[in-house]
Amino acid sequence: MRLKHMAIIIGVAYGFMAVLPLFVGDVRFVMNILVMCLIWAVVASCWDVMMGFAGIFSFGQVAFFVMGAYCSGILAIDYHITPVLAIPIAGLFTAGMGVLVGLPCLKLAGPYVALVTFGVHMALQPTLRGEIGIALGSGGSVGLLTIPPIRILGYTFSSANIVPTFYLTLLVSLTCVLIIMFAIKSYWGTAFLALKDSKDFAMSLGISAFKYKLMVFALTSFLTGIIGAYYGHFYGVLSFRMLDMDLFSILMVMMLVGGLGHFPGAVVGAFLVVAGSEFMAPLGAYRAVAMGALVVILVLALPNGIMGFFQKRLAGELMQKCVKN
Amino acid sequence: MLSEDTILLLYEITDVIIAGLSTGSVYALMAVGMTLVYGVTKAFNFAYGDFFNMGGYFAWILIFGLGLQFGGYLVILIIVMPLMFAVGYGLEKLMIAPLRKREDWENKVMMLTLGLALFLTSLYTVVFGVRMKSLPPMLEGTLEVGQLVFAYQDIMIFFMSLGGILLFGWMLNNTRIGMAVKAVAQNPVGAKIVGIPKERIFASTFAISTVMVGFGGILLSQKWFINPMSGGTIMIKAWVVTAFGGMGSIRGGLYAAFIIGMMEAFVGWIFGMSYGIIALFVLLLATLTLRPQGLMGKGE
Repeated sequence: MRLKHMAIIIGVAYGFMAVLPLFVGDVRFVMNILVMCLIWAVVASCWDVMMGFAGIFSFGQVAFFVMGAYCSGILAIDYHITPVLAIPIAGLFTAGMGVLVGLPCLKLAGPYVALVTFGVHMALQPTLRGEIGIALGSGGSVGLLTIPPIRILGYTFSSANIVPTFYLTLLVSLTCVLIIMFAIKSYWGTAFLALKDSKDFAMSLGISAFKYKLMVFALTSFLTGIIGAYYGHFYGVLSFRMLDMDLFSILMVMMLVGGLGHFPGAVVGAFLVVAGSEFMAPLGAYRAVAMGALVVILVLALPNGIMGFFQKRLAGELMQKCVKN
Repeated sequence: MLSEDTILLLYEITDVIIAGLSTGSVYALMAVGMTLVYGVTKAFNFAYGDFFNMGGYFAWILIFGLGLQFGGYLVILIIVMPLMFAVGYGLEKLMIAPLRKREDWENKVMMLTLGLALFLTSLYTVVFGVRMKSLPPMLEGTLEVGQLVFAYQDIMIFFMSLGGILLFGWMLNNTRIGMAVKAVAQNPVGAKIVGIPKERIFASTFAISTVMVGFGGILLSQKWFINPMSGGTIMIKAWVVTAFGGMGSIRGGLYAAFIIGMMEAFVGWIFGMSYGIIALFVLLLATLTLRPQGLMGKGE
């Protein structure tokens, strides 16, 4: 997809989000959902960069998200660091962790990478809940309960004054997504794609697989950590239950709905799925069942998601026009 | 003479070793199934652990749901094994076979089976509830040798899973379908040329691995519990055993399973159960860094 098209789709999606508070600004419940849309859009996009563009089959994105959230929360609670400072520190910490996880993954083939990163996810929960986590200040099985909200120049951004908080989230989310967009369209992004499509050829052209794969890990985990930390300060409460499979599966559905490797797709997918999953709330416990089934069906029936579907239609129409002329 | 405390400690260690052996034997069963399915079809099954639970739940339904009189683990096996085979065969045909034609299908399969794992996990939670279920032991009572006490159940689990593996090995080497599976693993194109129906072999292999893990589920659920959420952990364990032993090496998988079973038992005894998965993860990272092909693997 061209940069122009990406920018248009992102612009339309975020523009639509930006005007929504005019209509539903006083309904706290809806505004909370909108904030969640914006947050998950970033996580899903990061995951998409990792899986769809770099072709690294990482299942550790939720773990990085939780790491960022916990890191910033602990910094703010135990060390009284102001959230505005704690969030970037958490991002850097998560980026470091991303590189650390990425290092062993560089030499491994697909399923092994999936296994190592999924292992990080699985090992994080007992770590946070157990003695190691408690020693670090994770609050054990209770979690973190008193994370202070973000405060800029004496103004508090919390769910009490949701509309300004929404616009701050919009700003953060849009910045992250734009960073991802430019990264994809830069020399980096081309290098990722080349490495994914033909590793040997790309390496013979002098593209270092080592360097670029580590960069992907660093970039995506940095952004995921930042948005995770932001989530922690917005929500105020963190628990290791976030590592349960619900969140994981819903993020997966977002990516698949949008289309894996069709970048702004993940953003659109996130908006659609968060809203859609609220509609599915009456299903109760069956919602998770439906989500799992949806992953299976989407992989089978709509392999390139909405974006891929429309792109194909668009390409087909262009082709017809060319033929007519 | 040894002091009283030392003797007690020795007994305790023996207990831990027995526990390690019986879990290790079930891990071996699971790892062999996994090696087989990945080695032959190159499809990575994320829902593997949920098939483990499926075996346990089928047995549970038979015993408590339908009121099958106890004493019939043999009957349960006779009913559940073909059922697991049918489930595995059907899933492969329905879901994985259509993906095989697409580009980068291996990744698609991973996503699909992950979705399947989520589906099954939440389905179990909805249908059977979050609470863990337990199966009655196959054999009650204990065997006492001097002052050492062995539960019959542990001994049975050990021998039944070893028996399962041996039976499987015999099948692979001596029956027609087993040889066809080996042929497809060695050279898919060559196998097709000599008229081996590749698609059917893929589906059968997947089904056999489902049967093996389901068998493991029935055996081990008597000792642990059937936990609807545990699929991911079990899958990781089976996969670590496979990676540690070396992909595609059945003997490597056997050794690895017993080493990991022992390690888990000892880590659990010394530090507490929750450290098991962390130790497993550390072992996995060490293996992949130092010897990526595993203990007995031949490398790529």
